[in-house]
Amino acid sequence: MAAPVLTARNLTKTYLSGISQRLQVLRDVSLTVAAGESVSIRGESGSGKSTLINLLAGLDAPDAGTLDWGGSPASVDRRADYLGIVFQSFYLIPEMDALANVLMAARIRGPIGSAERARARDLLGKVGLGERATHLPSQLSGGERQRVALARALMNGPKLVLADEPTGNLDEHTGDAVIELLLSLCRDTRTALVLVTHNAAHAAKCDRPLNLHEGVLG
Amino acid sequence: MPWYLYLALKQLFPSGRRYPFFTLISILGVALGVALLVISISVMGGFGHEIRRMIVDTQGEVQVKARGFIQEPAALQSLLARVPGVAATTAYAEGVAMLEHDRKPAFPAVQGIDLNHVNDVIPLRRFVRLGSLDNLDDDSVILSSQLAISLGARLGSMVELYSPLLLEKLKNDEVMLPRELTVVGIFEVGHQQLDSSVVIVTLRTMQDLYGLGRGVHGVNVKIAEGEDPDRVARRINEALPPDGNVEARSWIDANQDFLFVLQLEKNMIFFLLTFIIIVAAFSVASSLLIAVVRKTREIGLLGALGGKPRQVAACFCFQGFFIGVAGTVVGLVLGFTMLHFRNDMIRVFTQLTGSEEVLTRFYQFSRLPAYTAPTDIALIIACTIVISTLAGLLPAWRAARLKPVEALRSE
Ligand SMILES: Nc1ncnc2c1ncn2[C@@H]1O[C@H](COP(=O)(O)OP(=O)(O)OP(=O)(O)O)[C@@H](O)[C@H]1O
Ligand SMILES: [Mg+2]
Repeated sequence: MAAPVLTARNLTKTYLSGISQRLQVLRDVSLTVAAGESVSIRGESGSGKSTLINLLAGLDAPDAGTLDWGGSPASVDRRADYLGIVFQSFYLIPEMDALANVLMAARIRGPIGSAERARARDLLGKVGLGERATHLPSQLSGGERQRVALARALMNGPKLVLADEPTGNLDEHTGDAVIELLLSLCRDTRTALVLVTHNAAHAAKCDRPLNLHEGVLG
Repeated sequence: MPWYLYLALKQLFPSGRRYPFFTLISILGVALGVALLVISISVMGGFGHEIRRMIVDTQGEVQVKARGFIQEPAALQSLLARVPGVAATTAYAEGVAMLEHDRKPAFPAVQGIDLNHVNDVIPLRRFVRLGSLDNLDDDSVILSSQLAISLGARLGSMVELYSPLLLEKLKNDEVMLPRELTVVGIFEVGHQQLDSSVVIVTLRTMQDLYGLGRGVHGVNVKIAEGEDPDRVARRINEALPPDGNVEARSWIDANQDFLFVLQLEKNMIFFLLTFIIIVAAFSVASSLLIAVVRKTREIGLLGALGGKPRQVAACFCFQGFFIGVAGTVVGLVLGFTMLHFRNDMIRVFTQLTGSEEVLTRFYQFSRLPAYTAPTDIALIIACTIVISTLAGLLPAWRAARLKPVEALRSE
């Protein structure tokens, strides 16, 4: 059997708040995600979901514990290839049109050519924005912007997509559509997904719904 | 193209915006500084060039002078002619005398020139605007233009020249009459000082006036094409008798202090005007810093997508560099265009204010000269680009320091 897409063992994260106040956000969190699997994480506000996602993405370092991506240790250099990340805010670059924003993920990885351009167009088509490729973020609605961000996360053909409340800034109806799209895209490309959400219905659509409570994942 | 350069260009020229104001204004700021530098340095260079040319045109490139005067100019000249690098020589005598016309006195510097040789060394013919050098003989004189105007003398006028010898004779109770000379030419060099206070007579006349006999004060030397004045002067000094009475000096050496002041003035102007570029660079730096703060979250995302801090830094550094390069190009075009039309602009200005007379009277030249040294331009280009790139450095450092998690979390 192939190595899991993601293996996190005993991740611990403590924030120093104030001079001597310590806030243990995560205690011994372990998580394994298999190829193509979708996992949802729910939890109260402040329970440490974003903290966990940042650790899984290698954006932040845990105080203790190990993190493997596809059987070898996570590293900053592998991130562009291995991961796609979607946040609650869309973080599109305002000076670039939708297509250029999607292509940015590929540019950071290396030189781009016509294959990458074609793939970016194709992805924009898949998220239903084929006609809007030359529109700037300011000319798109919130839901459309998040769909551009989805296309960008998938641009490099990642093994795993980490999504931190991708519908947090969207209305219910638009949010439902974005989650449907995210799940179907991941399913089609056999990309694993870790989805953080407050929405029970969205969480239930994933293969494995989990809960983060008092620093423990279960 | 690396992503950080692409991003830098996109931030300079955002898609879908017809006028990228930040970029245009930043470039214009730098360009104005560069244009001003180019114009000032070129005009300063022009004055310097003009002055140098004038010195050479009126003194020759090397002057051989005696402590007192040279008794046997012909012998000296034939000695000089054998020195390698010497192309031609002409003897002269000079001094101050009183000139009178119509009861109006003036005290010009009188140059006695050797008509047989002067044209080989000094392009005097070129400066004679009225009359002719050919008409000059021992009973005539050529006046400089301003002097002629202020005396009211014209071609054919008679002027009287009183030599200092007159006073000496007077002490011995002798009387010597002033010399009557006919004006046969008016010359104009284009240099205010020379044009207002010099008269030219023959060497013979000057020798009579000063009682020099056959002696002269010095010999002007023209050097061969491509020779260095200093080197020729050194060779002449080696060939001269070692008694030290006669010495050769190149015009560069003889005008050392003056040339130094000219250079110093130019350097000061360069130094001061560079501050315009530094000020422009400060505004570029502050705009870029604001951009870094405003784009904190996007910078965090670039990190999350795999961008490295030094690449993020390069993105902002490049924006400073680009503004520097573009500002330099625009500034050079602007500067050279204005230099090209400088005399037309001055004409329009003086016509509007009716100050044309004043301009030529108080400035040394009748047209605004300009000479641009390639080394000056290279220096301007290098300074501007370095300063603008430095302006991008502080924002770049700020951006590189941002950690993705913190940047993404920032509101
Ligand atoms: N850099 C930090 N310094 C100090 N405390 C922090 C820091 N980042 C997060 N925290 C704290 O850690 C806890 C978990 O934060 P986190 O953002 O992971 O919560 P969350 O589960 O994502 O909440 P939400 O659902 O509101 O997004 C919070 O109490 C927060 O105040
Ligand atoms: Mg969160």
